[in-house]
Amino acid sequence: MIDRLSPYLGQMIAIGIALALGAVVILTVNESPWKVFVTLLDGAFGNPERIAGTLLQTTPILVCGIAACISLRGGLFNIGIEGQLFVGGFAATWVGFSFAMPHALHVLVGLGFAALMGMAWIAIPAFFRARYNTNEVVSTILANYVAVLATSYLTINVFKRAGGAPDTPPILESAYLPQIFSYSRANWGLFIGIALAVGVWLFFTRTARGYAVTEMGANPKFAEYGGIDIKKQTFVLLLVSGAVGGLAGGIESLGVHHRFMEGFAPGFGFDGVIAALLANGNPIGTIGTALFFGALRSGSLLLEVDTTASREIITVIQALIILAVSAQIVIRRRPSDSSAGERRWKF
Amino acid sequence: MTLAVELRSITKRFGSFVANEAVSLAVRRGSIHAIIGENGAGKTTLMNVLFGLLQPDEGEILIDGQPTQFANPAAAIAAGIGMVHQHFKLVPSLTVAENVFLGMEIVKGGLIDHAAQIERTAELSRRFGLKVDPTERVGLLSVGIEQRIEILKVLARGARTIILDEPTAVLTPQESRDLFETLRGFVAQGMTVLFISHHLEEVMEVSDTVTVLRHGREVATKPTSELTKSDLVQMMVGRLVSFDRRPRPPVAGAPVLAVDDLWARDDRGLHALRGVSFDVRAGEIVGIAGVAGNGQTELAEVLSGLRPATHGAVSLSGRPLAGLSPRAIRAAGVGHVPGDRLVRGVDRNASVSLNLLMGRQDRAPWSRHGVIDRSYLAAQSKKLIERFDIRTRSAETPVKSLSGGNIQKVVLAREFSGDARVLLVDQPTRGVDIGATEQIHSEIMRQRGEGKAILLISVQLDELIALADRILVMFAGRIMGDVDGGAVSEERLGLMMAGVDADGHAVKREAVA
Repeated sequence: MIDRLSPYLGQMIAIGIALALGAVVILTVNESPWKVFVTLLDGAFGNPERIAGTLLQTTPILVCGIAACISLRGGLFNIGIEGQLFVGGFAATWVGFSFAMPHALHVLVGLGFAALMGMAWIAIPAFFRARYNTNEVVSTILANYVAVLATSYLTINVFKRAGGAPDTPPILESAYLPQIFSYSRANWGLFIGIALAVGVWLFFTRTARGYAVTEMGANPKFAEYGGIDIKKQTFVLLLVSGAVGGLAGGIESLGVHHRFMEGFAPGFGFDGVIAALLANGNPIGTIGTALFFGALRSGSLLLEVDTTASREIITVIQALIILAVSAQIVIRRRPSDSSAGERRWKF
Repeated sequence: MTLAVELRSITKRFGSFVANEAVSLAVRRGSIHAIIGENGAGKTTLMNVLFGLLQPDEGEILIDGQPTQFANPAAAIAAGIGMVHQHFKLVPSLTVAENVFLGMEIVKGGLIDHAAQIERTAELSRRFGLKVDPTERVGLLSVGIEQRIEILKVLARGARTIILDEPTAVLTPQESRDLFETLRGFVAQGMTVLFISHHLEEVMEVSDTVTVLRHGREVATKPTSELTKSDLVQMMVGRLVSFDRRPRPPVAGAPVLAVDDLWARDDRGLHALRGVSFDVRAGEIVGIAGVAGNGQTELAEVLSGLRPATHGAVSLSGRPLAGLSPRAIRAAGVGHVPGDRLVRGVDRNASVSLNLLMGRQDRAPWSRHGVIDRSYLAAQSKKLIERFDIRTRSAETPVKSLSGGNIQKVVLAREFSGDARVLLVDQPTRGVDIGATEQIHSEIMRQRGEGKAILLISVQLDELIALADRILVMFAGRIMGDVDGGAVSEERLGLMMAGVDADGHAVKREAVA
């Protein structure tokens, strides 16, 4: 039992430390930490509308988290999910307002094109990683800036509505991703995210290809020795991760915004990466951690109404969690364990 | 009789694991005292306790009759104890003299007095017969000379008792002989040597007294003159084992693996293989002897597709293999037991059964339509664990919690249970205890009996003599000679390993690519 829990113990301690430090920060602005946490909980789960609001925030974090899990499983780090999300969001919107199609088809084509563009967006970093071993962390981060600015350029200079705000025309209703509740924009994207999480988990734990990816992440030299084509698999894995990142953007535009605008997604891609890390790269666990970050985001809306604490306190807590989680990863990789290729992410 | 070192019932625990249990040791001044035992018997732990690297949980340490406690190695050094570790800790870019005096530089007017350091190193070198050039850079020197420098470091710090942890593991037989000469010189000058080994011959040859450890306990301490090799083996493993040449029917098969004029570069881009050619026939074990680092590992890597050849041909029953991927070479019928098994041979964190799956995960019946057949995997794992006598709690136990010998059995079980016709077996018993070594040897002989063509790479000559039909000696990327495994002396192999060819001409190691 302890053995089974121990991989997650570190995570729980990390969250505990982050919350405790968060409490100290709250005290410095003369607010009661207890009141802040109660308000956060109330804001996230206090009534059906608020729960729906939490699910709305959870969806993109979950889908981005799955994108991160996919790369982490193979020992790779796609940190360009934010950019893939922007590109995918723009691509789905373009399909949504440019073509008329039957409802289900329109949604599928929109999401498919979003995934395709997400894949295209990571193709260059993926190629360089596979062919020349270029660090994908750096190249995917840099691609983020290009994605945000390029979609912004297209929105303002090519597709901007005459005289309107800096956003694209709205998509046709046939491209709307159905809502779950009548009173919220929380949509079927959540089900897509959960289905992806389960599917990805089954793929990694049950299939031959999933085993090959897992061993590449755990010990690439062993995988290479066993006949696994590391270069090809690296390239394909990053493409799939990018496709899921693009899909997250498609879900946001077809399910929530129904158009594309500047500042399309406030850091969902990065939250997804953190959610995946906090879940140790486990897609099922990522459902839980994505819900946690979704709740923090939606709970924080009530925070400014009911307390003197700023909504930014949530960003502080998230940053503390990142610190605590990365510290715990460093601690776990003690030098005594560094002799061979170590598994970085456990399921 | 005065004792240089006395340990009284030392106990050292790591958690629930007892590494040393009430071990006592009395080392006479002016003697060479060997400590012998299988891997994991507690030899190194005991020496680390004596050297102050570990603190004993119970027991006493007496130096020259005085009870002592060493909080750290510095305290042990101050008491005249020096230790030469298995892995050297030298700075390649510094000269010999600078390395000897690293951390205790001779200073004049705030600056390092290089002349004095060089002179002092030369003086120590002369006095103890450890030939070195104090002004040479360490990075250019051979392993044997590096070891001399490590010993000089210890001497420069005024050691009267020197601990050597497996000093001959990296040496050629000739270099080992020189080392023993030096050690005898030490005791002639009244110094004391503690010598850890699991090499029986060496212990018999050089030591005055032997202490045998088994499972953390002291089994016996006796004058070497009263012991035979088989006594020692019996005490080490608790039963008799034979390392004699295995009986075998003559080789009758046709050539299966053919290697012709193979060249390849190492990781630094230097030529590690320089025109290697040989054949291995079905039902034949061809041994590759050589001091580690003479191209053996690169040879196995090229043959398994993990390293590109720059020139030459490899074929399996006439089918060309050079340039194929590791996957295609596996599919063609080549199994590979890698020399660095913890790096390449296993995923230490994965279960035994997932380690047994590697390389065939996408083939029926291991998987169907891309989905792993978990019940087939479980059944096969159980079978292989029994068949290869892998000591593990279950098939789901992570490999890292197995002992070295059992980890190697996992690798063998995987590579020997496929349909390979050629087996590349690299250092099959490195770091493996005698009991498991015997099982691994039997398994290799059994594969020979089944008609496999086996290339056995080993730095242990007794292993090659026990198993190989023919032995090829590699030196500096070339094959120095091809000898009958049944009619060769370690002496002759040793000369070839040191680069002397069959006609007695020394071959120069080329430093440039």
